[in-house]
Amino acid sequence: MGTEEGRKTDLLESFCPNDEEIEKWMCCAFEMARDALENGEVPVGCLMVYEDEVVGRGRNEVNETKNATRHAEMVALDQVLDWCRHNNLDVRHTCEQTVLYVTVEPCIMCAAALRLLNIPVVAYGCRNERFGGCGSVLDISSADLPHTGTAFKCVSGHRAEEAVEMLKTFYKQENPNGKKNNRFLLFRHVWQFFFHLFVLFYENG
Amino acid sequence: MEPRSKRRKASAADPDSWIAYPVLSAEQSQDVELVDAFAAPIVDRKETSRLVRELNVLYPLNGLQHVKRVRARKDEGGAGAHPLEVLVCRVSDAPSTLLPPGGAKWVGLGEPFVVQVPARPPLTRPQFEAASRRWPTSFHEDKRVTVALRGELFSSRQKAAMHRFMASALTAAEAARQLGMEAVGAVVVDPEKERIVAVGHDCRGEHPLHHAVMVCIDLVARSQGGGSYCFDRFPNCRFASPNDLSAPGPYICTGYDLYVTREPCVMCAMALVHSRIGRVFYGAASADGALGTKFKIHSQKDLNHRFEVFRGVLSGPCEVLDGFRKEIKE
Ligand SMILES: [Zn+2]
Ligand SMILES: [Zn+2]
Repeated sequence: MGTEEGRKTDLLESFCPNDEEIEKWMCCAFEMARDALENGEVPVGCLMVYEDEVVGRGRNEVNETKNATRHAEMVALDQVLDWCRHNNLDVRHTCEQTVLYVTVEPCIMCAAALRLLNIPVVAYGCRNERFGGCGSVLDISSADLPHTGTAFKCVSGHRAEEAVEMLKTFYKQENPNGKKNNRFLLFRHVWQFFFHLFVLFYENG
Repeated sequence: MEPRSKRRKASAADPDSWIAYPVLSAEQSQDVELVDAFAAPIVDRKETSRLVRELNVLYPLNGLQHVKRVRARKDEGGAGAHPLEVLVCRVSDAPSTLLPPGGAKWVGLGEPFVVQVPARPPLTRPQFEAASRRWPTSFHEDKRVTVALRGELFSSRQKAAMHRFMASALTAAEAARQLGMEAVGAVVVDPEKERIVAVGHDCRGEHPLHHAVMVCIDLVARSQGGGSYCFDRFPNCRFASPNDLSAPGPYICTGYDLYVTREPCVMCAMALVHSRIGRVFYGAASADGALGTKFKIHSQKDLNHRFEVFRGVLSGPCEVLDGFRKEIKE
């Protein structure tokens, strides 16, 4: 028991991506965010990397699923679980060596989910002033919660301004929709309203 | 919705066996914060209103409007004590000369001394009572909060409905326990129609994030034509089918109530914020709970949605279920 615990502690302490890895994977996350922006979606990029391999990626799916918990991170975590199942790997063991790269600080819910799955490190770009769970609103990442998985380390600020700018651009684009003129518009309008509500929290206030 | 035998079992305790108490915000539940202030006895009672006028001009007590300027001492008969005392100013606001020389201005005022007065207006009756023991304080009472703190907010008819909903959550929790999952169940209710929109239970054995609340949120999404998962293989994870509901449902969980046997964790509590839940009722507190125990996410400042939380609904059976879980773990 003691040696097992000791091994885990060693693993966690030595486990942290280097600058080069952060640079490389954050670059991918930003590409995803930009791609989302160009396709009219919330510009947040998020990927999960295990042993130099992308094992999960996600984008926001709140609107299509009508489930407000379908944030990019939750979608990516589901992919990690599927990947483990598919490769017959132990979830806990894999997650303990998986890093999340995301352009925006995870919200309180996602931070708790990352703890519950024992993800050890999260690298993110800009702060999430409205919902941030890694210090902006609450610090769930390091809080004393012995029954909520393990605390994780954050590496923040990588290309933060760029992440904020993308969110602002997205928000500005979404506003003027007066040009369109069909029956679909009303329906779209209603959904966009909620979409905006949701986007608001990604906008660095 | 569930077999009669199980319902009878879950409802063994009657609605009088439990009390629902509100889980108030940190500001509403904290101890009264005090601040040092100078006060002085009024040695000549006839000068009282004039002295109060002079002091109001000199020290308007900005930020302490909830504190009364003058207090009557209860121990009036005490040797040397003066029956009335007047508040001068906060110690932090006091200049080096507390009362500028003004000839006859301060006639009737005794030697200033330091007292502690409540720093903020009281928000609840217990805070008001504690504050008033320090210095007379005014209180704009929210009667609903006072009644809720006495555990008397809900009528017996309402309590009977709450009892029924939590009993359904308990039935689901029991089903989860029999499947080897954590014994937690949850029910989402449309309080206007008094009908169940979704029932779910913990499915952590299948997916580590499928806590009962997360399951219920996805079941509500499915009832609205969305959803990300399929829980059809669990008979105790169900939703009211969309054509079942006469009008289209609201946006996600707006206006809905959630009944859950155990206080939600941080993930589930924040998921309820994102889902715009109306109210949450839970039975037993949990060690890392985020709706009262470790955090009060439902009343967290900076968050864009707040909701009311009540604890203690069917607390007995909910705690028994939770105890069972702890025994397994040990
Ligand atoms: Zn999130
Ligand atoms: Zn939970």
